[in-house]
Amino acid sequence: MAAALKNALAHPIHSNKRNSQYRPPPINEEQKEREKRFVLDFQNKNISACPDTNTSDVKERALGAASKQLRVQDFDLVKTLGTGTFARVWLSRFRGQTSECKSKVFALKILRKVDIIRLKQIEHIRNERNTLAAVAGHPFITTMITSFSDKDSLYMILDYCPGGEVFTYLRRQKKFEPETARFYAAEIVLILEFLHDVKGIAYRDMKPENILLDAEGHVKLVDFGFAKKLLNKETYTLCGTPEYLAPEVIRNSGHGTAVDWWAFGILVYEFLVGQPPFWDKNPMKIYEQICGGKIRYPQSMAPDARDIIAGLCKVNPAQRLGNLTDGSAGVKNHPYFKTIDWDALYHRRKKGPILPEIKHAADTSCFDEYEDAPEKKSVYTSDMAEKYDKEFKDF
Amino acid sequence: MAQSTFPGGGNPFGPGASGGIGNVREEDEAADTLGSSTGPFGGTSYTFGGPSASQPPPAPSSAFPTGGLPDEYNTARRTSVSAESLNPTSEENDNWKPPFHKKTADQLSRLRSAVSSNFLFSALEEEQSSLVLGALVENNIPAKGIKVITQGDAGDYFYVVERGNFDIYVNPSGTIGPGPEGMGKLVTTIGPGGSFGELALMYNAPRAATVISTEGSSTLWRLDRVTFRRILMDSAFQRRRMYETFLGEVPLLNTLAPYERSKIADALEPRRFKSGDTIIREGDPGEDFFLLESGEAEVYKSDAGPNPVKQYKKGDYFGELALLDDKPRAASVVAKGDVKVAVVGKDGFQRLLGPVEGIMRRNDYSKVEETKQV
Ligand SMILES: Nc1ncnc2c1ncn2[C@@H]1O[C@H](COP(=O)(O)OP(=O)(O)OP(=O)(O)O)[C@@H](O)[C@H]1O
Repeated sequence: MAAALKNALAHPIHSNKRNSQYRPPPINEEQKEREKRFVLDFQNKNISACPDTNTSDVKERALGAASKQLRVQDFDLVKTLGTGTFARVWLSRFRGQTSECKSKVFALKILRKVDIIRLKQIEHIRNERNTLAAVAGHPFITTMITSFSDKDSLYMILDYCPGGEVFTYLRRQKKFEPETARFYAAEIVLILEFLHDVKGIAYRDMKPENILLDAEGHVKLVDFGFAKKLLNKETYTLCGTPEYLAPEVIRNSGHGTAVDWWAFGILVYEFLVGQPPFWDKNPMKIYEQICGGKIRYPQSMAPDARDIIAGLCKVNPAQRLGNLTDGSAGVKNHPYFKTIDWDALYHRRKKGPILPEIKHAADTSCFDEYEDAPEKKSVYTSDMAEKYDKEFKDF
Repeated sequence: MAQSTFPGGGNPFGPGASGGIGNVREEDEAADTLGSSTGPFGGTSYTFGGPSASQPPPAPSSAFPTGGLPDEYNTARRTSVSAESLNPTSEENDNWKPPFHKKTADQLSRLRSAVSSNFLFSALEEEQSSLVLGALVENNIPAKGIKVITQGDAGDYFYVVERGNFDIYVNPSGTIGPGPEGMGKLVTTIGPGGSFGELALMYNAPRAATVISTEGSSTLWRLDRVTFRRILMDSAFQRRRMYETFLGEVPLLNTLAPYERSKIADALEPRRFKSGDTIIREGDPGEDFFLLESGEAEVYKSDAGPNPVKQYKKGDYFGELALLDDKPRAASVVAKGDVKVAVVGKDGFQRLLGPVEGIMRRNDYSKVEETKQV
């Protein structure tokens, strides 16, 4: 790799004395070209799909560093891939006539500052950017290549996962074959092991909707909106998805990485059964069931699957598998995973059980159709910018 | 009628979600008891991960629907939820005290029974419960026809009815429409002792129904989410820090890293004793370790006559040698007045930190005071 390239994002132009008022920084065309190159080259490396190829960028902290040069005008927004509460994710590519610009696509996640403020999600958005930067390069986590911002919005350039959501396949198949479920579950164990043990990060929103598939059928975890670095202290803010909330989150008694093991148990159950163990039309009834912790297992579920779910879905986090003295090793060593070769899995030696039907790099046939962005748009006023822009300075 | 949740359960997961009445999912009590809560940790130690787990996995439920998904399961994409960020260590909260609104003894006991069937309240400790009830504030509804909450609006308060009756309307579209018809169908009426709107105690979800007064001079009590969740957070936070401090003073455990201490603090379970109760009995096998959280206790030894040989007070601990070996208890500890202790057993300890011997070995364990060896 050329030296210039390595340095492309390693030294983002950061002004320390940034004024709280948004002022577009002057564009340095040379630096901008280097940054474009970096983003484009990321894909070449990523396609080889070996987890070790990205390490030098990760070490130099180039991957995931903020860009002060890129603008949304540099991109063509091709198609909406998905929408969340306040984000819209676009299939996008660099504007330009070269075949490279045309062939290389990204997922561009756009968040409007007004919406973030209205929904009181400033802290979560900051956590999302910073945890994504901290974990960039893991084989089963979507990589944030870089981020940037303008007057109204925040942007994250993510590697495009063409397979779409595991959720879509699960609903289509009603439930997964035991081996399919085990494969996805095992890759997710590797993600949680890395997030918890290496990074000290709780993810806090595990569900099939947030697990995408790449071209080879491996999982890619997206949406780090609730992820948080914990520094060995418990945290209290309620967040997650109703059916997947852990009892200690509902009761507000303080929670940590153990909530991800709870949700992982719910996930394995939903993979095998087709619906989560706790459900009711009335969300309060879901929460009551969760705190009661009584799970019903279908006859068809294998005993080791039942056992791992029961161990993961312990109401008391001090008894929960994954949160005990042996940590995630306790999960990996559970009989449910006895057929898994963890090293081969990490190195992606085998393709996944479901191979997305993808005809070309920019194929979006695995994604649902979304309507265009709604018209009514509240504006991010200069008063708001005065007050809040300092909160977004990491982008 | 005590109706503690919205009928039809408004589904806040998406617009247009339609509601039925209540929970139509078939219940099977017998099968339920086979679930995870009666799982493998019934006092004996259980190791996951070994090829031969010592306990059988939970049995399947015979009542489980076999023919695919129950019709009512909502298979749509699910949206995330989150509440206001709560941070016990941030400065603005340093002097936070929950609001307190005085109530008569009668009012308090009515409120207590009104919320007793609600799982969010029924699991509260006595102290938390008093703070929560104290924080409920009176909300007078002077006239008939006042909408207390409006379907589709943001929800911030939970309500208990003190006086008057309130009609609950649900519009199947998920939001109230224009005109009197817009409220949708009358689904129920809630009177004194009833409550509504408790999902607002979790996070801000759109209201699932419209609630309207049916007579003049009605009275409600209401509680907002941030107050409720802060009360829960603050007491959990204080309890954890108190346990960590107590644990820090136990010589046997003073080689624990702070994060190990907080894991143990997590595993401590409160237990209460009445005056005269025996907390541990001389000669019994020792299994649990105790921290005295409040009250006093006395230590008796059979070879030392009828008088107590020692007193324990708040912050003292006993039974720690049980974590190390299975020797019988060397003395009895009896509650003097009401006592609250926090308990962790040997298996609970080992599950979190591994064999106790290893931890002890970091320490010179001969330093442990003789008199402490209960
Ligand atoms: N890297 C990617 N490649 C392809 N599609 C993606 C990618 N990232 C996100 N998406 C799609 O966009 C959807 C929304 O993204 P995301 O979950 O990050 O947004 P969000 O607003 O934070 O969501 P939520 O409201 O659920 O928290 C995803 O569920 C997925 O379908």
